[in-house]
Amino acid sequence: MRPSGTFPREWGKVVTGYFLRRVLQGLISIVGASIVIFFISRLSGDPIVLLLPTEAPPALIEQVRQEMGLNEPVWKQYLIFAGKALGGDFGKSYRWQAPALELVLDRLPATIGLALAALAFSILLAVPFGVLSAVYRGSLIDTLGKGFAMLGQAMPNFWVGLLLVLIFAIHLDVLPAYGTGSAAHVLMPAIALGWYPVAAQTRIVRSAMLDVLDSDYIRMGRAVGASERVLVWKYALRNAAIPLVTILGVYFAAMLGGAFVVETVFAWPGVGRTVVEAVFSRDFPVVQVGVLLTSILFVTSNLLVDLSYGFIDPRIRYDR
Amino acid sequence: MIRRSVLGLAAVLALAPMAASGQGTGTVTAGFGAESTMLDPVKYSAGVDHYFMGQMFEQLVRVNPEQRVVNWLAESWSVQEENGKPFIDVRLRKGVKFHNGDPLTSADFEFAYNKMRDPKISRWSHNQAEVERFEIVDDHHFRIRFKQADGNYIANFLQLWAVPKAYYERVGEAEFGKAPVGTGPWKFVSRTVKDEIRFEAFADYWNKDHRPKAEKLVIKVIPEDLTRVAAFKTGAIDFLDAVPLSMVEEFRKMPGVKTLTVVTGNNLFLNFNTHQEKSPFRDVRVRQAAAHAIDVDAIIKSVLFGQGERYVQVGKGGVGYDPELKPYAYDPKKARDLLRQAGFPQGFEIPCYNLTTPREPNVKEVGEAMFAYLTQAGIRCRVQGMEYAAWLNLARMGRNAPPEMDGVFSHMWSQNLPGDPGTAWAGHVHTFVPGKGWGSYSTTSDAEADTMIAELKLTMDPEKRAALARKIARYKHEKVLGGVPTYRPMVTFAWRTDKLDFTGWPYPGYWRGMQEVVVKK
Amino acid sequence: MVILALVVIAAAFGENVAPHDPNGLNLAAAFRPPVWEPKGEWAYLLGTDNLGRDILSRIIAGARVSLVSALYAIVFAGAIGGLIGMISGYFGGVVDAIIMRLVDIQMSIPALALALVIAAVFGADFDTVVIVIIVTYWTWYARIVRGEILSLKERDYVALAKVAGCGTATIFFRHLLPNIMNTLLVLATLQVGQVIIFEASLSFLGLGIQAPDVSWGLMLSDARNYITNAWWAITMPGIAIMITCLSANMIGDWLRDTFDPKRRQL
Repeated sequence: MRPSGTFPREWGKVVTGYFLRRVLQGLISIVGASIVIFFISRLSGDPIVLLLPTEAPPALIEQVRQEMGLNEPVWKQYLIFAGKALGGDFGKSYRWQAPALELVLDRLPATIGLALAALAFSILLAVPFGVLSAVYRGSLIDTLGKGFAMLGQAMPNFWVGLLLVLIFAIHLDVLPAYGTGSAAHVLMPAIALGWYPVAAQTRIVRSAMLDVLDSDYIRMGRAVGASERVLVWKYALRNAAIPLVTILGVYFAAMLGGAFVVETVFAWPGVGRTVVEAVFSRDFPVVQVGVLLTSILFVTSNLLVDLSYGFIDPRIRYDR
Repeated sequence: MIRRSVLGLAAVLALAPMAASGQGTGTVTAGFGAESTMLDPVKYSAGVDHYFMGQMFEQLVRVNPEQRVVNWLAESWSVQEENGKPFIDVRLRKGVKFHNGDPLTSADFEFAYNKMRDPKISRWSHNQAEVERFEIVDDHHFRIRFKQADGNYIANFLQLWAVPKAYYERVGEAEFGKAPVGTGPWKFVSRTVKDEIRFEAFADYWNKDHRPKAEKLVIKVIPEDLTRVAAFKTGAIDFLDAVPLSMVEEFRKMPGVKTLTVVTGNNLFLNFNTHQEKSPFRDVRVRQAAAHAIDVDAIIKSVLFGQGERYVQVGKGGVGYDPELKPYAYDPKKARDLLRQAGFPQGFEIPCYNLTTPREPNVKEVGEAMFAYLTQAGIRCRVQGMEYAAWLNLARMGRNAPPEMDGVFSHMWSQNLPGDPGTAWAGHVHTFVPGKGWGSYSTTSDAEADTMIAELKLTMDPEKRAALARKIARYKHEKVLGGVPTYRPMVTFAWRTDKLDFTGWPYPGYWRGMQEVVVKK
Repeated sequence: MVILALVVIAAAFGENVAPHDPNGLNLAAAFRPPVWEPKGEWAYLLGTDNLGRDILSRIIAGARVSLVSALYAIVFAGAIGGLIGMISGYFGGVVDAIIMRLVDIQMSIPALALALVIAAVFGADFDTVVIVIIVTYWTWYARIVRGEILSLKERDYVALAKVAGCGTATIFFRHLLPNIMNTLLVLATLQVGQVIIFEASLSFLGLGIQAPDVSWGLMLSDARNYITNAWWAITMPGIAIMITCLSANMIGDWLRDTFDPKRRQL
């Protein structure tokens, strides 16, 4: 699993072709996703009653419905939406009376930041756990690490979040319960979100590490008398980390998905919370843009994963 | 001719605890559980919009801590009559300035009226439907002339907001929504949706006795209860809005923290279907049985941790409030007897729709408890939980179709503060009339009630209005029309005494007025 | 394993095992702590919630809803996803391309967002939750089964069966299905935990299971309103989720290592 130095000459062409095909597939996915969300959300009942005072007369309701273009057949609504969306106009939020794209874009950095922090947290745990459990296979450390990692996989992230707030913010008063800004702020949401993938990541590092430690490369190192610590943490890890690094994109995408609940618990001003609230208030334009942006991030990070596989390990066949 | 006495400014002054001089100091950081969607008072759509809007904008009258309506931007006003048509005669207070320095004049109110009656702009245009025209007498004197009497106009604090005509026209609607300018005690600085809004004290605020005592006000938006509480405990915020019900006791005992608990303007009730042929609730005895079956006091005590005020038809201090009207006592035996008399010795099974979205704290649990009580008395609930949008769609009568709601329904309709039931009763007690706005959420149909409610809408005289509302309340109570009233939610604020002093002026329950927050040095 | 068995038994015989009616309201007995606390009572082993309902009984009742919804969903997702994956892998070509694009589309939408929208449309209840989970999870089966079939169909015995004139259905169910059963089983077991957590998240956000049904996620959602009054109400259902998922995941890991020692990333 080591990067190989020389590529065949045709390689460039193959990669370009593959790259184009994958990008095309990604675009199809995104357009498909927008269609699916658009049509499903239009089935979800009339948003008008949510937007007007309870005693609003029917004439006003009818007028607002027309203003919003909700009288058109759904397919026509979609075409209108898609046409405008290509020009960067995703409509106005029903609830906030502001451009939906702006509302969601403002939230995007917070969500990406949280997802990255959660990812960092999971890696910081997974790598040492994975390495130690490979080196000390079957030992107490192996079991404990595995246990801790599996625990994260068995708990709903919002529950972890609530317990963390209860313990560290309310009882011990050592961490800020909400807000953004400092490292302390992001700690609890990142733990709540990042604990889940630790188990899977540990497993990847561990098995890769087992392979590498068995390789000639490390055996040779031992033979020439290099210190075990250097061998494990420097040379072995460098190679064992590759499979983890290549699929980080997948986990990043997973973090974006998980953020929907965690953001709600921590009042994190991100895309997830915005979309959840928009679903409840039937604010279609915001749901639409929020899901679309997340989908784009999803597809892009998965695309990068696929491509990086190929660059790092040319043995992978590019013919799906 | 109807005259309304001018409440002397002296009375208002007496309520002000300390006359602050000059500029305030320090920053108040408050944590709110909900936030406004819009900042523009001619475009606002929901009650929650008052939270932010109310800091910057003002109306002709407002509610004081005793829940009385007092003159505010109006120096005086009265309802008069000419050629059989009523009009409201308003004299504006002089010396009121907008944040940008413009003086407040009648033209600004005319401008607001024109915006608020336009259905393309305002979500509340129907509230101006009875107004014939807006007549300016001079810069500080105008008349709102009506086609026919409209009692709700007065119940809704004379409707209009002070909006700066010149500024609004110069910057346009979109820009005004982003950088609003009003006459209120707080000047807008900046806002980040779902995060925070920042204000600074308005140095030229007209009401010198109610100028902000702090220099800056920051309102943070933290919807999740636990997180908001933790933010208060860790000191990130000094003023906590909506203390979670279960923690109110804890906060009251907390050293260095003071709390204020007030009733809010919402009114909760349990509604029944009486429209469908086979509905058992067509029989008044069954409705009375339901009213006797539920121990509302016990629910308030345990499920709401005491944070609810029982009301019968109209809340304490509201128009038509009747201290002699007592709620149906909790009496499960009587409930069973009534059911037997109505021909249901074995009780019956019925769908019970519960709102699960916390539009008010713990409503879901309250609904579960009420339905459990009904079941125990023989009205066996098949409970169905519904989130807000689904609930609203079910509650709303089809434009021409019979109501789909076929059982028992946990409902709410604000009568506002100090409280006037006119609009609420028109919506959920009056028979549904297609296209007319009557009974848009009603599953009740009673000719006598309809006549009285229609008359109430035409009654502008406060005395007559109160008397009529009392009469309707009694009738509604006896016949259990438009549901069984349960409680008015209460809200508790908490603040750190080492940093703040808060007197709750003006009445904070509904609008969250923050101007009396004092930052200690 | 033992724990999972216990949970299954609780789910199956819940009504007979539970000490109280899970929805039995008793406002006088609200907020009783668990039995080992000073004010605890034997009548309420794990304490009561804000409406005086017995938490143990509710956890038992919730076990049924959580497990049954998970099982329904996984069986249907496995069957539908598995079949689609087989069709896609076996026939290849345009069919494969279309199916895989559909899978891609589905997978590019954040699962919880899609689930929330669907639940909002069809009204949140038990059936919707099951449907939402099926919609979310079938893609996993489709993708993985397709991969397996791609390699299986090159094998001699499949080719032989084709030559021998076996119908497509026969090939599918006699020759291919037995070979992917292990994979399906491992995947299904590993998903039990995920699905339970997914359901809990939906219910927590208010678009999952609705009262009077009881689910663990719903209990957590309720309990957060009085988290500082009754730590047990928020802890116990969470622990139920935790140990159930933990044991399901451990069995899943064990199955994976047994059936499929090489594939580490299933």
